[in-house]
Amino acid sequence: MSDQMCQPLSLLYRWIQENNELVDKCKQQGGGDALSPDQNKTHLRWCSSEFHKLLKKIQGIPPLADYLQLELTVVYNACLCSTAQSQFSEAELLLTQATERVLQMTGDAPVASDPPVFWRTVLKSVGDTALNPCVLYLLCLQWALWLSTCQLKTIQECQDELFSVFETHSTRVWDEGRSELRGKSSDIPLLVMDPRRLFELLQICTIIAQGAESLSEGRSSQALSGLQTASSLPAPRTLIAYTHLLSGSCLAHMSRPQMALQCYRKALETDSRCVCALYQSMLIYRQLGNTQAEIQALRLLHSTLMLPFATEPALAGTRLLSPSLLLRSQSLSSLLSVPSALSLLHNLALKCVHHGRVSDGVEYYLDLLAVLHSEDQHGLHAEGPPLPSLPELYLQAGAALLMARRPADCMALCDEVITTTLELLPEKVVLEEPEEKCEAETRALCAEGDDRVAMLLWAGAAYLLQGHCHTHLKDWKQAVTHYTRCFNLLVKVRFKKGSFQPQIPSTDMVGKQGTDLCILQRLKGLSLAGRGISFTQTDQLREALRDLQLSMQAFPECVSAGLWCGEVLWRLGRRWEAAACWEKTWSFTPQFSVESLSVYLQEPQSGPLLDSLELRRRIQELGPPLSA
Amino acid sequence: MEGRCAVETWAVGLSGTSCTPRVKFGLGTDVFLCTGSDEVYVFSTEERKLTAVLQFPDPVSDLVGSHDKQLLYVACRSGVYCVSLQFQLSRAPSSPADASSSLAELKIPSEFLVVAEEGVLSVLLVGSVFLTLSQTDTSWMLTLYKSSNYEMLSSFSLPLVSGVERNDTEGTTAMRTRPVLICVHSNDATPPPSSEATLTDDHVRLDPVLFKLLFGVDAALAKSPVILCGLPDGCLCFLPLRLPGSRLRVLHSLEQPVVFVGASVVMERGPGHAQCLVAVGELGKVVLIKTDKGGSEGGGNRTGFIEGCVPGPVMCGCVDKNCLYYSTGSDLLVLDLSEGLSQREGQEKDEETSRKTEAALQSPTSLNVCRVAALAEPRCNTAGEVQLLGLSVRGQLQRITLPAGREDARLSKGPSALVGRSVRDLLSAIGDVCERASVLKTAIKSKNQILRHLNQVLNISFLLKASASSEEHLPIQEKPIRCHGVTSWSRLLQKDSLNLTCVLDNPSPYILERGWTLSIAVFPLSYPPSAGGESSSTNFSFPFHNLHPGETLEVSLPLAAAGEASFPMTVSCSLIFSLTSLLGEEAANLPRLQSRCISLPLNALTVDWLHVLQVNSPTATHKKATSQSNNTIDTVQSFLRSRRVRCSGRGQGGGESASKPEREYSASIRVSSELLRDTLLLKSSDLDTHMPKWPPQNVGLSLLEWMLSEGPGGVTTGHQGDKIALSSSVVHARGPNGHTVKLTAKEVNVEEESAGKEESRTAVEVQVESSSIAAVCGLHHAVLCRVQTLLQRAPEKAASTKGVPSLGLRQVLQRAEHLLQQIQQSRISGAFGVGVSTGQVTRSLLSVYRELRENPLLIV
Repeated sequence: MSDQMCQPLSLLYRWIQENNELVDKCKQQGGGDALSPDQNKTHLRWCSSEFHKLLKKIQGIPPLADYLQLELTVVYNACLCSTAQSQFSEAELLLTQATERVLQMTGDAPVASDPPVFWRTVLKSVGDTALNPCVLYLLCLQWALWLSTCQLKTIQECQDELFSVFETHSTRVWDEGRSELRGKSSDIPLLVMDPRRLFELLQICTIIAQGAESLSEGRSSQALSGLQTASSLPAPRTLIAYTHLLSGSCLAHMSRPQMALQCYRKALETDSRCVCALYQSMLIYRQLGNTQAEIQALRLLHSTLMLPFATEPALAGTRLLSPSLLLRSQSLSSLLSVPSALSLLHNLALKCVHHGRVSDGVEYYLDLLAVLHSEDQHGLHAEGPPLPSLPELYLQAGAALLMARRPADCMALCDEVITTTLELLPEKVVLEEPEEKCEAETRALCAEGDDRVAMLLWAGAAYLLQGHCHTHLKDWKQAVTHYTRCFNLLVKVRFKKGSFQPQIPSTDMVGKQGTDLCILQRLKGLSLAGRGISFTQTDQLREALRDLQLSMQAFPECVSAGLWCGEVLWRLGRRWEAAACWEKTWSFTPQFSVESLSVYLQEPQSGPLLDSLELRRRIQELGPPLSA
Repeated sequence: MEGRCAVETWAVGLSGTSCTPRVKFGLGTDVFLCTGSDEVYVFSTEERKLTAVLQFPDPVSDLVGSHDKQLLYVACRSGVYCVSLQFQLSRAPSSPADASSSLAELKIPSEFLVVAEEGVLSVLLVGSVFLTLSQTDTSWMLTLYKSSNYEMLSSFSLPLVSGVERNDTEGTTAMRTRPVLICVHSNDATPPPSSEATLTDDHVRLDPVLFKLLFGVDAALAKSPVILCGLPDGCLCFLPLRLPGSRLRVLHSLEQPVVFVGASVVMERGPGHAQCLVAVGELGKVVLIKTDKGGSEGGGNRTGFIEGCVPGPVMCGCVDKNCLYYSTGSDLLVLDLSEGLSQREGQEKDEETSRKTEAALQSPTSLNVCRVAALAEPRCNTAGEVQLLGLSVRGQLQRITLPAGREDARLSKGPSALVGRSVRDLLSAIGDVCERASVLKTAIKSKNQILRHLNQVLNISFLLKASASSEEHLPIQEKPIRCHGVTSWSRLLQKDSLNLTCVLDNPSPYILERGWTLSIAVFPLSYPPSAGGESSSTNFSFPFHNLHPGETLEVSLPLAAAGEASFPMTVSCSLIFSLTSLLGEEAANLPRLQSRCISLPLNALTVDWLHVLQVNSPTATHKKATSQSNNTIDTVQSFLRSRRVRCSGRGQGGGESASKPEREYSASIRVSSELLRDTLLLKSSDLDTHMPKWPPQNVGLSLLEWMLSEGPGGVTTGHQGDKIALSSSVVHARGPNGHTVKLTAKEVNVEEESAGKEESRTAVEVQVESSSIAAVCGLHHAVLCRVQTLLQRAPEKAASTKGVPSLGLRQVLQRAEHLLQQIQQSRISGAFGVGVSTGQVTRSLLSVYRELRENPLLIV
């Protein structure tokens, strides 16, 4: 008989025991870091299902005040496990069921589905009973769910309430829990995660998410204040670093780059793995035009990324619910994203080449190519802006090598490109200039044609570079051969605009820079200029003059063609023409910035040079033009 | 003369094909076999026997060996295992018994699990990268792992294409098609050191131009191997392995499950230059992907896709330099790829050629090898013959050697030096054909068996159909196949229950074979008011095997426990034949057939009150008592107790003490004794032994005896012990509901006044008396039924001699009219509900009934 009377009690006791054992197991597993993430995941899944099973048992009886505390604790545990597995809808369902049961117990009618109102009613109906802390824990979880599902608006609506409720209750609630815990631990159902830690985590994550949101909406100053207060909250280092980072971004938006840099530095000091801070500072340096610092930052960034990826040591108590689960908003992730190591390396190499650190640039290019050819797959498949296509990279590297006076290496790279593309080159190809308005669409449509044109241009550029190499080696005959090959390739391209018949392209058709047509004309000009210069060196002045003039037609801004054309004219005794030609060349203002064009499309610096001073002296000796 | 090849069977009896089986060359001369079960077999081609069996915890779907052939990666359902073969073999327990057979059986424990990815369908190893292909609900997942530490590098997904035409005949649905995973290298790419020195069938080298055309310049420049997947949804997709930002892209769609992807040389341009990618679909679509020289516009090389179709289904395939070998399951065929392609090369842009190509693709040559389910890549032996290694459907490992002359057959008609060889080829071909023939023979045999069976079934159906249509004319004995029953009371756990033993008699000339079921439905003729008027039919079915002509089948079924059922009951028998049993296993695949059956009604039996009476003959009681006195006192006591209980249950109804308790109801039937004498004597004349026992004066007794012992409709009463010897013409008995009934048969004289002269006839009056009206009604009905059958049996002449009792009729009619009036009156008042209560109506109806029953007409 006594057994029967004790049974409900012992049942409660048994459930508490079961819960506590599960919590212990859950925490134990989290403590051992030796496990792989895979194993951790399976363990979490197991814990979650066990908690759910226990909850099903408990919810089999009608809601009674005695049991409800245990039930809500188990709901908290189960819900947390579900959230940690990103099963948000499941967690949401659990919460709804639990609160409904609470209302059922207190006898209040179910209320409107509007979340803030709903929770207010639940809290009110519970009143100041022993259940109050349990319901507050559940509210914490609801908050976590809102945060994870990016329902920042809802949080905004009850934000004051959330904070104030916790502020007023917190000391009492947490302390109560503590003291009870200390008293008789076997009778008190345990929680998988300290609610206080959860609250702190939620608080800072909310501020970060909201900051990112307002930043993306352009309300920088508003975001800034919140973020700066958040930076002093107790939280994991990573999150503190995020607040600094976001503050920096806000300042950058408010055009205070120096202060932004300060913030980024603080972020890095707080958490050395915060690579996005480094990346953002690099962008600021680029914006400021501080190339040296930019290159430095890039180098640092690349080497940080190449470091072996260390798993983040989780802070005590936050193991189960990682901040990344709570910070899932699009705007934040776009702020935190960093390009892949390879694309950074390419950036770095390009920067160095453009800014006079050719030897460094060459090294970086070679590193890049080595990575691409290595069997090691690490980091190859990272997300981010795609690298330029490989032939493009080869040509850039080749140009850099030539600049670094390593023509043999350059030629080898160009050979690679040529042998790869040669068999695929079309006999004839029509280059269609897309109409202005529907540019994007047509570009996608004629992708295949583009492919063939691009291939032809790569091969042409490779020949051009080889020509440059031979020029550099003063092997004029070979240079002429290669320049000719380049030109022969380029004339295969017919240009078609709108509904007109395909025709041979001319300079006046070049609309915008960077298009295939522009590259084509530039290549033509450069190859003709190169050939012209080579002819000059072998004293074939007539051929030289023809080529140089054609070059100036194809690509009027070609400085070397202009200067050498004048030189040839001078040598032919047409001095006035020569002087006019020179004057005209000097008057050119470069239409395009250096960096906007591929390295290999720039005029070679390695060929035979004409001294401008000498030329000016000659003009002065010539005296004023006759006509003047 | 072409297409005859030698087949050597090397190993047999490897079973289990839930997935596409695989054959792979492994370490040295070893071959790995995987049939879809959880075992991988290692077969040594040198020793020509199985050397090891590796047993995994889950069914194996795919396997791949490492480049140095030291490690074996095996994809199971739970993940990928990595086994060092040498290590395993050296560690294997080598008992002396094992040493003689040298077959090592190794159980692979789960410690060897290296990649815990579930549902891996195919695996591939490329350098230091290990790839797995698995399927989720909506997409294909290609996952890359580092082979050194199995760290996941990246994962690519491709959405699943639904609605692909599949060969959905039975059998293949169960067999999943494994995705094909191969690695394509550009031929100009120098092989990385220490790996891929020898290319296996998972790695092919492709002509650089075609490689660039298909996979892009970037892949060629990076010298990246390209992974090519042929998926069961028909997609042929590729992934450059070492290219930053590469994606899994679709190259082509076959629109049917891809069975094989390989590369073939086709046109000799250099050693090992594969000029052509070949993909084969399950339904026979063959796609050749090659370089087209000088495209239509602007020149340059373009990719050319040539599609053809061979008669499918294709189970597996492989290619060598020029030929595609594929198995349809019933034959192994070879398709010369070079013919079609070289013609195309000759005359370009000609529609006729493309048609020719298709024609070439449609005319494969048969090699006369059947039931090949998996093929390893072809190898040339020293004599220059092509050797294929195949795994047959039944798990036989076969080496198929193609005749050497086949390739040069166009040039020379086979060297005469190889006559002996060709004889051996012929013999082996004969052997192969013989095997095929034996398979066909057994198939035909079983078909014949089924046909014969079906014939029997049809005969029986016609027989029973014919009898059903003419049933009313045929007396009971002439039915071709019929049932008759015997009722008997049995006592179990102090409860009386009535059993009916049904005997199925097969006097027909046909056998009732496997598949027939005797189905018996038992339902009462009328329902007790307590049952709410619902039919309480009970069905019994008894499947039986063979019932030859003249044999009988006896089944026993419980009719009712005492006091539960209402009689009379109709027992209708029918024979049911189900088509499922006719087809045996094959029917299991045809779900629509499973419910189909033929039902042929036989006769219906009636179990009436007379059958279920428990006669209390003094001798029987006595016998019972004496027999039980031998037993222990306990049983006697229990017997006595049970008697007492029954007595008290009946109240003052009393036992068989004939103390004349008050019997409330009675009914009687009069039958002319002359008629009885005729019919019963006629009947007894059949049974000579009983002849002296039927003295003419004892008609009443014999009537009772006859009624109690057998009845119409083929049901007889099987009383415990021997035949009841009725001492008098009064029978006391207990009905099924426990009430005592008394049956009296006595001869009476019936006076008839006909036109002044008085004539008397002797008649037998059977009187039924009981305190239970149900018993009286039931017995009256039963007795009437019996007399009815008796009359049917009466000879014609006996009826004609009877004078019709005329005078009595009027009196009877008057009485009947009076009763009719009474009935109508009570019905009217009942209908209007006025004047009389329902109780009164019932009472008046009852009195009418009693009057009807107590003053019977004489049946003559």
